[in-house]
Amino acid sequence: MKSGKRAYTKAAVCLAGIVTCLAACGLDPNVNLASTNEGEDRIVNFYSPMEKTDPDAENVARSAADKTIRMAEEALGVTVNYITYTAESYQDKSYDDVALDRVRNDMDDLYLLNPDTIRTLGEEGRLKDLSGLECVKNLRDVVKTANTIDGKLVAIPQEVVAYGLFVNKDMFDRYELELPETPEEFLECCRVFQENGIETPVGANRWWLETFVLAQAYADLYNGGNTEAEIRALNSGEKKYSDYMRPGFEFLQEMIDRGYVDAAKAYVSEAMEGEREDFLAQKTPIVMAYWGAANTDTAYGNTDFEMLVVGFPSSRGQMPVMPMTGYAVGINAEHEEDAMRLLDVILSDEAFRIYAETNRVISPSVNVEVDCVPALKPLKDRIEENVYVLGSNAGMEVEQWGNTCLIVRELLNGTTVEECMAEFDRLQEEALSK
Amino acid sequence: MKKEKSEYKTEKRLPLFLSIILVFCILGGVVFSVSRKIVREMSEAAIQNLNENLNLIKSTIESIWSKDAEFQKLMALEIAGMENPQEYVLSYQRNETMVKLSLIPAGEQEGISSTGEVFSEEGMEFVPSRVMGGLEVSRSYVNYMGTWAYTVKCPVEKDGVEKGTLYVEYTYDSLDKALPDGFYNKQAMLYIMDAETERFVLKPKGMGARSAGHVNLEDFYRANSIHEEALRARIEDSLKDKQDIMFYHDIRGKSALNFIWMVNDGTVCLVGYVPTESIQKEAKTVNVNILVVVAVMTSAFFLCCVLYYFNQRQQRNILREREEERERHNKELTDALHAAQLASNAKTMFLSNMSHDIRTPMNAVIGFTTLLARDAENPDKVRDYTKKIMASGQHLLSLINDILEVSKIESGKVVLNREEFALKDLIASLDAIIRPMAGAKGQEFHVEIEDIKHEFLVGDETRINQILINLLSNAVKYTPDGGNVWLRFIGLKQHSSQFERIRIEVEDDGYGMTQEYLKTIFDVFTRAENSTTNKVQGTGLGMAITKNIVELMGGTIEVFSQVDEGSLFRVEVEFAISDRKVEEPSGEKDGKKSALEAGISSLEGLNFLAAEDNEINAEILSEIFSMEGAGCEIVENGKLALERFMASAEGEFDAILMDVQMPVMNGYDATRAIRALDRADAGRIPIIAMTANAFAEDEKEALKAGMNIHLAKPVDIDLLKNVISQCVRGRVPDEKE
Repeated sequence: MKSGKRAYTKAAVCLAGIVTCLAACGLDPNVNLASTNEGEDRIVNFYSPMEKTDPDAENVARSAADKTIRMAEEALGVTVNYITYTAESYQDKSYDDVALDRVRNDMDDLYLLNPDTIRTLGEEGRLKDLSGLECVKNLRDVVKTANTIDGKLVAIPQEVVAYGLFVNKDMFDRYELELPETPEEFLECCRVFQENGIETPVGANRWWLETFVLAQAYADLYNGGNTEAEIRALNSGEKKYSDYMRPGFEFLQEMIDRGYVDAAKAYVSEAMEGEREDFLAQKTPIVMAYWGAANTDTAYGNTDFEMLVVGFPSSRGQMPVMPMTGYAVGINAEHEEDAMRLLDVILSDEAFRIYAETNRVISPSVNVEVDCVPALKPLKDRIEENVYVLGSNAGMEVEQWGNTCLIVRELLNGTTVEECMAEFDRLQEEALSK
Repeated sequence: MKKEKSEYKTEKRLPLFLSIILVFCILGGVVFSVSRKIVREMSEAAIQNLNENLNLIKSTIESIWSKDAEFQKLMALEIAGMENPQEYVLSYQRNETMVKLSLIPAGEQEGISSTGEVFSEEGMEFVPSRVMGGLEVSRSYVNYMGTWAYTVKCPVEKDGVEKGTLYVEYTYDSLDKALPDGFYNKQAMLYIMDAETERFVLKPKGMGARSAGHVNLEDFYRANSIHEEALRARIEDSLKDKQDIMFYHDIRGKSALNFIWMVNDGTVCLVGYVPTESIQKEAKTVNVNILVVVAVMTSAFFLCCVLYYFNQRQQRNILREREEERERHNKELTDALHAAQLASNAKTMFLSNMSHDIRTPMNAVIGFTTLLARDAENPDKVRDYTKKIMASGQHLLSLINDILEVSKIESGKVVLNREEFALKDLIASLDAIIRPMAGAKGQEFHVEIEDIKHEFLVGDETRINQILINLLSNAVKYTPDGGNVWLRFIGLKQHSSQFERIRIEVEDDGYGMTQEYLKTIFDVFTRAENSTTNKVQGTGLGMAITKNIVELMGGTIEVFSQVDEGSLFRVEVEFAISDRKVEEPSGEKDGKKSALEAGISSLEGLNFLAAEDNEINAEILSEIFSMEGAGCEIVENGKLALERFMASAEGEFDAILMDVQMPVMNGYDATRAIRALDRADAGRIPIIAMTANAFAEDEKEALKAGMNIHLAKPVDIDLLKNVISQCVRGRVPDEKE
């Protein structure tokens, strides 16, 4: 009898609960259903490059950068609005051209810039001084040196970019060739390859052939123990840039003359477009690229052969060339404060570690060390021996990376070595006259 | 049978199972079709919604451009009226929409821009078909600000005379603010594409993923794996015809609705896609909810099935248990019936045997009584006849005693007495009884004793005696003349120091028994039958009594026998060991014995009162006392006996012989009444029970009622004389004193 009563009570409670739930599901006419934006979204406009899309390949470098930016977005509650540009062809404005225009017109807040644009925009005073950021104290000196213009740290990279020669070791072994240390050895290797039916042993594009020149030009300057004095001499006009550059240009000219490089093709080829396919197909044994290309599937991260990355040939042996790309903030950035805070997050040691571990690169922070892929070991060994050439140096009055690139492009287009040297002299004179 | 039952069950369940499957199939089909219908309808609604969204964006852009064109025309009109339009151009400050103003005077190739640069149309392609509010629009290009832009040219006319051309550069970025900040929960991808160059010139903020093919239409195809030639041709045709196109195509493994939407009559296009799951989010939710409901209902159904199944199983178990119980009960009843039938058969057989065994001596009694009547004058024959009648009577008596004993054992009324006895005495008494019997048949009786450690034991000597006399008398009985009978007492290893374990063997080299008979030898009412043994009289109850008594003592009995070789009965039993080591022969016993053995005393001169309702017994009694010279007054019941005793003078009767079962008042009540009388001899007059109630309990009851002695009928005259003598003679001197 008692249990029967209890069952009725339970049933009544359940029924009441159901009724309450159903009542709660009803529509309340007093509620405003319109979505409202409570406060403006905090946005940082970020101008960055983007390669043409390959859905089957992962761009590790970009993934690494995205990870750190997502980290900053979560930490700061800001949204990064990506503004990207990619030249459709060589006839289009280059990324650097557009970058210059956008910075000069205050189009964005944050920019990822190449060394020459950093130099140019830094000199123009278009970039914010980043030396006050918390992350700066952990940066390697070489990073700070390469990006300091007129006493201002105008850009900070997420990785120390090192360029090297990507070689097909299997093909070198097939023809019993040692990896070249000097320009002469390099030319000899090319000769052997060519004799064995490889018509164009070196794959190139219109951007990165300058690395050969820079390696030969500044091998002694950066590794001879008298760097500062030599730079002072160049800045004062006692020494001429053209004297440094000549061997490299003559070397390139010889390569072009012998057909080791297809100058016409390189002149119209974007980065990797002209050479990647042939290199992966083992039609070309040598290409040049940046460190991260060895890690990413969109470049050379997945080859069917043994690949090694070595320094460029020079009088001091294999020589890595290290330009410094970097993040910069426009001087009149609309969202300057958020952009600076964002940089402090994506350039923190934590973010550097995420980036370096994802992308397996050399970190700008002295506190972050990661292992690299085996193919990069020869290049890394040289860098750890402190044997390298800076691709860009803000301490030099004449911007190196961009100017050399442009002048090499002229060489590809048929300009003589003498005319190229004259261009360097002109640039030096122009700099001296400022 | 079980298999058939199982098959029957399977056959019975199959249609039910198929029905359930069918119901579920129908239910599944209905749910599926409803779900599909919902998806389809919602998809149609979503496509309609997407169309509307795209048209809205399209209208927005066209509206902006129309307004821009109108404004530019107004500017041109204003410039036309200016005396120094170049100054106006140079003073122009760019805004978010119109970032550069340029003017080329009529008839010239170059003009000036608001940026201060020389301006010409060179490198700027105007296509007549690309118009905006009636003004020509250039192809898209990356402008001096590093962003995608287009220029619209407008003639500057005054009074119908062309004074120049006004060029205004617009950026696509300016459209961004007029467009929604993403749609379909920012899952949709949208680009604005220059239809002429197929370059992507703007990705409005909040519109989809970063890596979705951002350069041009070809890059979009590549990024989204749109490789089908037919599809691409259809898209190209649509672009040429400036027609909108929308189609399903997977984007990175996920179904998506792709679109190319013409804006401003195909000057630019909206290019992008919306993942189907974003479009049909509601449908998915509804379907998930339907599935949840179906899953819950199905689960509930199966739960009910499971509960039903368990309930059914429980019911089946209960039924099976009941069935088993019923079957067990029936079996027990059947067994009981069978046992009862067997017992009935056995008893019928027994009665038949008894009838035979009773009739045989009865025949002798009646026959010889007849002969006695005929030859009454011949004293020799009379003596012979009476001797044979006596023998037959004795046999009948033993028959009755055995029946009573079995009945008593079976009803559990036998109680063993624990009394001390000497093994030596037991053997001596057995020897005294059996040796003469064996001797009479010319048999040798051997008694052997081995390893017996204790002489004095505690147990029921009478019952042991009964067992052994039974076995030994059988041995003698079933052994032909000149045979041998052995009695062995063998001491076994003790299980406990308190008990003597003894094996008693009775062996003979007589007729032996068949193996079949050995199986039933200890059953009641069985008897070995053959032409030889039939000569031997027996009740067939002796072995059953023996076995029962042995088991009652906690012992075992075994039998081994071969026909014509003899039999061996082996009894193993334990007796408690007595503390007494040596015992002198009991004087009392001797006294009793001497008293009993004192011989039969004469009853002459004594006077008895006898209560006996049976006339024949009364007559016999009367005749016996008359023969002995004693007086005897017979009354018919206890009451009369009481009244007669009350009426008698003190000492008139020397003893009262009291039957027990009598009408009016039984012997016990009468005795109690007599003992209760208030007269001097009421308490001491010997009252001797003479009754057919012959059990020990009857004796106890008699003594308890106040009787002095209990004698079982039929009365042994000599014993009666002895008893009376013991009671009366023993009292007389006292009285005389």
